[in-house]
Amino acid sequence: MTKQVTLTIDGQQVAVSEGTLIVNAAKQIGIDIPVFCYHPKMEPVGMCRQCLVEVGRPVVDRATGQVVMEDGKPKIQFGAKLETACTTPVSDGMVVLTASEKAKANQREILEFLLTSHPLDCPVCDKGGECPLQNLTLAHGAPASRFIYDEKQHADKRVPLGDLIWLDRERCIQCARCIRFQDEIAGESVLAFYQRGRATDIITNSEPGFDSIFSGNTTDICPVGALTTADFRFGARPWEMKAAASICSQCPVGCNVTLNTRREAKSGGKVVLKRVMPRQNEAVNEIWICDKGRFAHHFTENEHRLATPLARKDGKLALVSWDKALGLVAGKLADAKGEAVVLASGRLSNEDLFNLKQLADGLGGEALLYTQMGGGELTTAYGVPAGTNFAEMGIGTTILVVASDLYNEAPIWYLRLKQAAERGATLILANARETKLEKYSQFVVRYSYGDEAETICGLAKKAHVGEAITSAENLVVLYGSDGLGLDGSSALAAACAELVKSRAGKPNNGLIGVWPRANDQGAWELGFKPVADLKAVFQKANVVYIAGADPFGDNPELTSRIPHHASRIPQHASRSTHPAPFIIVQELFLTETAKLADVILPAQAVTEREGSFTSGERRAQRFYPAVPARGQSRADFVITAQIAAEFGLELEGRFAARVMDKMAATVKTFAGISYRELAETTEQWPIVGRGDLYYGGTTYENKQGLGVILALSPSPTGRGARGEGKPLRPDEDHWLAVPVTRLYDLGITVATSALLKARTGGAHILLHPDSAQKLGLAAGEQVELNGNRLEVRLDPTVPVMVALVPRSMGVPIAGPMVAKIKAA
Amino acid sequence: MRVLEPLIELRRGLWTTLRSMFEKQVTTQYPEHKRPVKARFRGLHVLKRYDNGLEKCIGCALCAAACPADAIFVEASENSAEVRYSPGDRYASTYEINLLRCIYCGFCEDACPTEAIVLGDQYELTFTNRRAAIYTKDMFIEPVPAAGKPTPQKTGPGMFTRSVPEMKDPSD
Amino acid sequence: MFEPILTRNIHRPNSEKIATYLAHGGYAAVKLALTKTPDELIEMVKRSGLRGRGGAGFPAGVKWGYMPKGAGIQKFVAVNTDEGEPGTFKDREIVERDPHQVIEGVIIAAYAVGASRAYVYIRGEFFLGVKRWIKAIADAYEYGFLGRNILGSGFDLDMSVHRGAGAYICGEETAMLESLEGKRGNPRLKPPYPAQAGLFGLPTLVHNIETLACIPHIVERGPEWFASIGTAESKGPKIFSVSGHVNRPGNYELPLGVTLREIIYEHAGGIRGGRELKAVIPGGASTPMLTASQIDVPMAYETLKAAGSELGTGAIVVLDVTTCMVETARRLTKFFAHESCGRCTPCRIGSQRLYETLDRIESGKGTMDDIDRAVELARGIDGITFCPMGAMLVNPARSAIQHFRPEFEYHILNKHCLVCKSKERNYG
Repeated sequence: MTKQVTLTIDGQQVAVSEGTLIVNAAKQIGIDIPVFCYHPKMEPVGMCRQCLVEVGRPVVDRATGQVVMEDGKPKIQFGAKLETACTTPVSDGMVVLTASEKAKANQREILEFLLTSHPLDCPVCDKGGECPLQNLTLAHGAPASRFIYDEKQHADKRVPLGDLIWLDRERCIQCARCIRFQDEIAGESVLAFYQRGRATDIITNSEPGFDSIFSGNTTDICPVGALTTADFRFGARPWEMKAAASICSQCPVGCNVTLNTRREAKSGGKVVLKRVMPRQNEAVNEIWICDKGRFAHHFTENEHRLATPLARKDGKLALVSWDKALGLVAGKLADAKGEAVVLASGRLSNEDLFNLKQLADGLGGEALLYTQMGGGELTTAYGVPAGTNFAEMGIGTTILVVASDLYNEAPIWYLRLKQAAERGATLILANARETKLEKYSQFVVRYSYGDEAETICGLAKKAHVGEAITSAENLVVLYGSDGLGLDGSSALAAACAELVKSRAGKPNNGLIGVWPRANDQGAWELGFKPVADLKAVFQKANVVYIAGADPFGDNPELTSRIPHHASRIPQHASRSTHPAPFIIVQELFLTETAKLADVILPAQAVTEREGSFTSGERRAQRFYPAVPARGQSRADFVITAQIAAEFGLELEGRFAARVMDKMAATVKTFAGISYRELAETTEQWPIVGRGDLYYGGTTYENKQGLGVILALSPSPTGRGARGEGKPLRPDEDHWLAVPVTRLYDLGITVATSALLKARTGGAHILLHPDSAQKLGLAAGEQVELNGNRLEVRLDPTVPVMVALVPRSMGVPIAGPMVAKIKAA
Repeated sequence: MRVLEPLIELRRGLWTTLRSMFEKQVTTQYPEHKRPVKARFRGLHVLKRYDNGLEKCIGCALCAAACPADAIFVEASENSAEVRYSPGDRYASTYEINLLRCIYCGFCEDACPTEAIVLGDQYELTFTNRRAAIYTKDMFIEPVPAAGKPTPQKTGPGMFTRSVPEMKDPSD
Repeated sequence: MFEPILTRNIHRPNSEKIATYLAHGGYAAVKLALTKTPDELIEMVKRSGLRGRGGAGFPAGVKWGYMPKGAGIQKFVAVNTDEGEPGTFKDREIVERDPHQVIEGVIIAAYAVGASRAYVYIRGEFFLGVKRWIKAIADAYEYGFLGRNILGSGFDLDMSVHRGAGAYICGEETAMLESLEGKRGNPRLKPPYPAQAGLFGLPTLVHNIETLACIPHIVERGPEWFASIGTAESKGPKIFSVSGHVNRPGNYELPLGVTLREIIYEHAGGIRGGRELKAVIPGGASTPMLTASQIDVPMAYETLKAAGSELGTGAIVVLDVTTCMVETARRLTKFFAHESCGRCTPCRIGSQRLYETLDRIESGKGTMDDIDRAVELARGIDGITFCPMGAMLVNPARSAIQHFRPEFEYHILNKHCLVCKSKERNYG
């Protein structure tokens, strides 16, 4: 417990812990001291001088060390100069005047200075309406300026810092918040000041410009409209937009976001999503989101979204009514009974997956999870329990990250672990190649691809690293699937689980899966099982009901069983005696899989409906509808319930909340959870998103729920399979090709955002420069891998004779494989 | 007397009629003849142009924000040097007023930072359906002045970079 | 006649050479100092009453005392040779003509505070100075005054030179440390002071080279001798750089407490052309100017403060009656606006606005309000900036208006200058 200090601010007494800055102490009792450069998430710098206040301290008698009393009260001595509230820590008996004539005169003066160099083009500024400078001018500014308008300084108004962020030099007030965010929080120092004095400018010193995956956050904390996103530029005025709470569906972190929508003439009068803003959740994403979450939302409004049910008629897909489609599907499923297979991915919500599982169970069929990463039954058993918070991890906590490139797979966790390491947590990174987070780690464990599980099994016995793991007060293990397929990651999960087993149930201890999709963890919780051999499934099943997955797109070989795609049928397949399965696809887009389906059911996007996701930390969080549904599309859980109803199986298909109630009653780890509980919030520090935009930025306050961490399932339902056989190794002319995850890939949820295209690029593989030289290749040239032509990119962190193949970048790769690579 | 009373009344009535025949006319023969409106009359809105033909409206939507009847809908798009509608970065790609909602209060005029929207003299508004009462930008925008060019214009880079005209006297 | 102390060697041929320095008793103080304990040395400097010569006048001994004790901590000495203050050219003289005197001071200071590394930050434009510094340091290494086990005492000290890139603000100690670290030269938040967390976050003793040049003499001749020179609160000799409208501009080493009149009329040979004195800037461009009637003030920290100015770096700029004070204020403010680092709002924007206001007055476009506006601006900038530069940059304008307001009014009313009567501007 830190020492408490009592002080008086504007006549109000407040007790805060020692070391608190005056500005934060005042905030706690509702006094807003105006600031521009100060931000509660960053180190104070005292640059803008807007927060100067009068500070008085009790006079202490030098001889006796006693406080001098005057009229029964301590004598207060005020300093000759004003002091910055953002850099001065509180002290006992301090008296702070934030609204004295002297302080107010200073506030007026600084605002006047800033405004004499500010263009006042508020009518066209995207920040207008939610602008700290506007708000503070209204609250504290002088009614008239002493300066002459003609002497305004003019500067460039359209400077692209990168392809995502634009700078208006004239509007910039040189508070350095963006520079400091990049330096201190993102750890990517790509912005800097240039020139000096009145000519001071923000520049980017990276190539390509503003090369950071957290760049969008700088626009939230910019206290003026100097930084704007290319996505939202002139999109709408802030007051015209409606806000809906949501959860980012791009990765397992589960960032809390707010979706801003507006009716738009350009879109034919439809209500459209204009921008994605972070929503405060100090336990998950604080007040930040990554650029993927901010800019990759365009898939929900893509023109190619499915809008009506389709059914195959005379070999062609044709429009049908919902009644007809549901009847057709239900009939086939009822006939198939135990031969029906439900194949779903973690893109769906808890409610959808629950209904799908109920349907599969009702039919006696299987519910399969479409994934290449295993170990979910172990995260369910040994995951982090309630009370876990990344923000609390520091000295005494050891965090082990295995086979995961968090920077690309879960950017916000990258930030959280970086911060934890800076607070003193021991960060151990185990990977076959160097990843970005290693910069902040205390230990790095390097192994060869294929030795993941073995390495982790032996980790506890290793000197230093082993000690850091076994003697840690708290231990969190994050594992991913960098270079791994289903087998490898399952074995790795089992090895990782051994490390945390003894700590099960202790807050800030446990196993976390860095899943490829937002709700993979939820699917595991609800009893979905991964499938190793999809081909066998398509060979055996009578009916396959695919929801939110594109197996044929990811692996064209699977289509050999599907007659609608005659050109792809290899000779041997036609000899099969088993008839091809009836395929039902429930999707957003006409994917490769959907193209081969017998019935296509259009689903609603995450922005159009209610539901909940379970994050990698096993935190169930609600999302809310923001825009009307596309065409006739329906929510996944509704479609499933309506199919079930056709053959008399009763599922909840009206309200997502009721599905959750059912889930709470039947699924152990969801016991007792309700939508009401998920919507509960408590006050978070720092206070942001209210009337105080200048304090925390334009991040939204969380009024719609902080989510709940699920209970652990004490007995694991399955065991992580040990990998079979020997690990694959490259040899003289065979390469080891392994799958890795990139932040921006060509998956349908990212590729539809035009802005990110430049950063995504085309299909490629990553090779070590030496490996490339062996093939006689230079960067940018083409190679052939299993019949796919790929661009070569060089990366010195790749092991020799290993090729990294990014997932969802046009090359099917389910797991590590030995392959021949040659120049094309 | 009872007999005479109607006659007296009749005479009085006819006298009024006769008198009014020689009085100054108060009726205007509308629509053949139209009365000029007062200087501050608030009629149908006009979107103004600068002398060079560029539109004054920058699509800031402050008029829509000020409108007490929620009658105005504005949507902005970005200008470029090649395709320029108004000075600065932003122009109104959609500008609609629902004239059935409009109460002609003139708040939009007051809110406009570029004096782009002005309530004009036109008051002869009829609609046959509700949809027709929503006027669009091309119905409000004034004709291109003789010295100007129609929009969009192709302007040189670095010209017309500022949306709000610089005020010589800020107190004005 | 005052016997020069700091400048005693500079007129000798080859004064910068180590041989010359050794031949005239050089490095004797180091030998003496290494026989004493660090605490004794700190006590000596405290007793000597030596105050910093870089401008702020902070007691050197107290600064040494703030450095944390103990051998376990890496500590640094940083030598400030940035000399950016307009009118000041004393450091250049020392570094070009007698660098070993400073090296000797650095060794003693480093030994006293327990530093094992010393950095010299020198103004980038001092080409000769850099050459001389490098040569001097190399020679000192060769003679065993620097490096491992200096003179067999077991004390190690390494020293190197870092060139600045031409920013006035890098003369401010924390900005200089930032620049030394290879960063943008911006001042740092204080506290922590450099003595607690300076260069690379470690305790650092920062001194101007003139301060360090005094150290060998204090050690050699004793603090009492040093304290006997000067006034009650200002001890020791001081090099005054005299420039402007005098017959013999140059550096004059004199005891603190000498009057301005004596410096100007006796040492610097009086006003050029026998003209009348108008104003004097007593401590470099950033100190408030004094009028001709104030020149009997003794040049000491306390007396100048009482007269409404500061000793600063002791750079005396003499202005005769042919000087336009409006133009002087305008030009000096332009310098400060140009040199503002841009970190804090009042200095970044305020200095520019102050310059613009003065420029308007000077060019005859001003109004009477502009004078009050300039005064108000100066008051507004002073005291609220991040570093002391804010308080300094307003001095030329504020003191010029205070003493010569009629000249400003004349510019506004007559649209030309009271002094030169010219409407032409042939300066930038």
